[in-house]
Amino acid sequence: MTPATATAAAPAPPIALATAAALPPPVQPAQEPLRRARGVLQTPQAVSRPRSRQLWYAAVFPALTEADPGPLQKLCLHAQRFTSFVSIEPPNALLLDIKGSLKLLGPLETLHANIDACWRDLALEARSATAPTTLAALWCARGAEDHPVVIEDLGTLAGHLGKLPIACTAWDPQRLQTLRAMGVTRVGELLRLPRAGLARRLGTAMVWDLDIALARQPAPRRAFVARERFRERCDFESEIETAAYLQKALEPLIERCAQFLRERQAGVQTLRLKLRHREIAATRVQAGLASITSERRRLAEVLAQKLTRLELEAPVRSMELISGALLPLSAASLDAFAGGLSGGGRDTAPQLVERLRARLGEEAVYGVISIPEHRPEAAWRRVHELRLTSLLGSGGKRADQVMTHHDMPRPVWLLDAPLPLSETDIRAEAGPERIESGWWDGKGVARDYYIARQIDGIARQLGGEQQPQGARLWVFQERHSKRWYLHGVFA
Amino acid sequence: MADARVWRLKGASAAPTRPVWSTGRSALDARLPGGGWPTASLIEVLLDDTGLGEVQLFLPALVASQRGTAPSTAAPSTAAPSPADPARTSDSGAVDAPWLVWIAPPYEPYAPALAQQGIELSRLLVVRPANATEALWAAEQALSSGVCAAVLLWLKGTDDRWLRRLKLAAEEGGALGVLFRPARHRFESSPASLRLLVTRGEYEPHLDLLKVQGGRPGPVDLAI
Repeated sequence: MTPATATAAAPAPPIALATAAALPPPVQPAQEPLRRARGVLQTPQAVSRPRSRQLWYAAVFPALTEADPGPLQKLCLHAQRFTSFVSIEPPNALLLDIKGSLKLLGPLETLHANIDACWRDLALEARSATAPTTLAALWCARGAEDHPVVIEDLGTLAGHLGKLPIACTAWDPQRLQTLRAMGVTRVGELLRLPRAGLARRLGTAMVWDLDIALARQPAPRRAFVARERFRERCDFESEIETAAYLQKALEPLIERCAQFLRERQAGVQTLRLKLRHREIAATRVQAGLASITSERRRLAEVLAQKLTRLELEAPVRSMELISGALLPLSAASLDAFAGGLSGGGRDTAPQLVERLRARLGEEAVYGVISIPEHRPEAAWRRVHELRLTSLLGSGGKRADQVMTHHDMPRPVWLLDAPLPLSETDIRAEAGPERIESGWWDGKGVARDYYIARQIDGIARQLGGEQQPQGARLWVFQERHSKRWYLHGVFA
Repeated sequence: MADARVWRLKGASAAPTRPVWSTGRSALDARLPGGGWPTASLIEVLLDDTGLGEVQLFLPALVASQRGTAPSTAAPSTAAPSPADPARTSDSGAVDAPWLVWIAPPYEPYAPALAQQGIELSRLLVVRPANATEALWAAEQALSSGVCAAVLLWLKGTDDRWLRRLKLAAEEGGALGVLFRPARHRFESSPASLRLLVTRGEYEPHLDLLKVQGGRPGPVDLAI
């Protein structure tokens, strides 16, 4: 029986429908076009399809108990010898799709033994199993008494799973306790229970798990993709004491980093520089770029900006340049034509933003956007991810159009928080504009806004006949408390 | 290249041929050489409190500069490309719409108001430096970068040397530099090509042109 027929023939009691509706849709199909677009090579096995027969090898490493994914990622790199699709199952297991590798590295028993040998070579204790579904392989690896378990035939799957203790499912202890109290100790006993009752008592997620294990449901998984980054170290023969020399020494590293990025058609958005000293802890320099780039000149400039402002606490023995995560270069970030080469030393906007940010800090340089919202304080927001390329905004423009039909003009300056104000200090010139909104999120406002002029002290002393002078203000009266507040200034 | 530079300097010194952005106020336009705010130059606005409509004086020019409409040249007979307009004539200008940079504004620039006035918000950069020196450095960088149409800078005080640097940067980058600072600086000398004192008025603020390169100083009556 293939998974396809199993799915089709599966009885469809109401609970099954409810199960399907209650669970989030599989992740993988949505991921696929994205990855393709990024140019990551993807083998046909990379997406697990319900129709194709699969064979999963699972390895559980009892020694790894920490939440740290580092060691598992290293093991992934070893496992990638055997298949292009390796998936991490936290906290301590790997899943390998080995169906495609059988032709080349088979037969199955040999392949299984070879992968096991790989862990032995690493002096790592591992429990392994091979089964047609991901969860079945995992459960067998965790729970089977005699190792290794190799199940190739879908027909014998239920029989094999039935013998396993329920602890192999790694469900939460409370649920397992409930099951044990019901007298269920093996997966087989669990499979004999009525579906609807099981789902009601223990939640639909568990029934879903059983379906996945028995190949009644597809279970898409995400493949592990090795993260690459540039990392190169440069040791100095004699210690360097001034930042200017460091800059000189950095040049070849930057050159190689740019080369590394160019070869991979990728760019970076962050760079780290680690300066090691003899006695004190290493100095770390973080540099962020305004847009993804692989251009040597921009990498050099942003690091130079950081270095010139760096005060070295101790002489530097060695220096290491580490790139951030590699990101695909998009057409918009190919800035070679935007002025870098032809502009004769002129900047592009990203360069300007980078230079400002490198010296003033990331938070100090930002843009603002207008949000269609009635409450004045919620009608705008700072944005730090600037759309630096010349994609003259569809989103931003739309918001602008929404905001242009205000009855009353809005002030150029808005105060961070409304400032209490005496009514005698101002004279209303226009208004009111009633703004009553936001009752749904607990920050409701009920205000009457006026455009007012400030009356300065002298004018008031001379009597009310004076014309009001002074700043034009945007004030409001809170409707419940009748208090006045200053909220903006027409500059 | 060398020839072009020589030419540019000559052009910058000849005030009447400088391209300008209209102020949106005919009374003020009439008093300014060329009929508007000069580009590629430094303008100094002296005022003590905000809320006098001082930003409003520049908003029409900022909107026009972002729309990419060419500044009106006072003397159209000069057939050569306008000297202070490299951001639009060079390659980078064609690709990137010009930016506006506001450095150390006294309050938060309110996005809906700016959008209401027609500013392209996706091309507006707000910079909040830690101190005056950083602010001046940022202004110099932005002015000379060639990607900015206008740089507005709010400062408590600065010295003559920095103003000179800003002026040079504005001329180099072809940007309009506007410096807002307190009125107590009115008696100090300044290299700015235009100095403007804004004080409180009854309906409109009082405008006093302290210095106009190529024009006549004196008060301006905005009510006309």
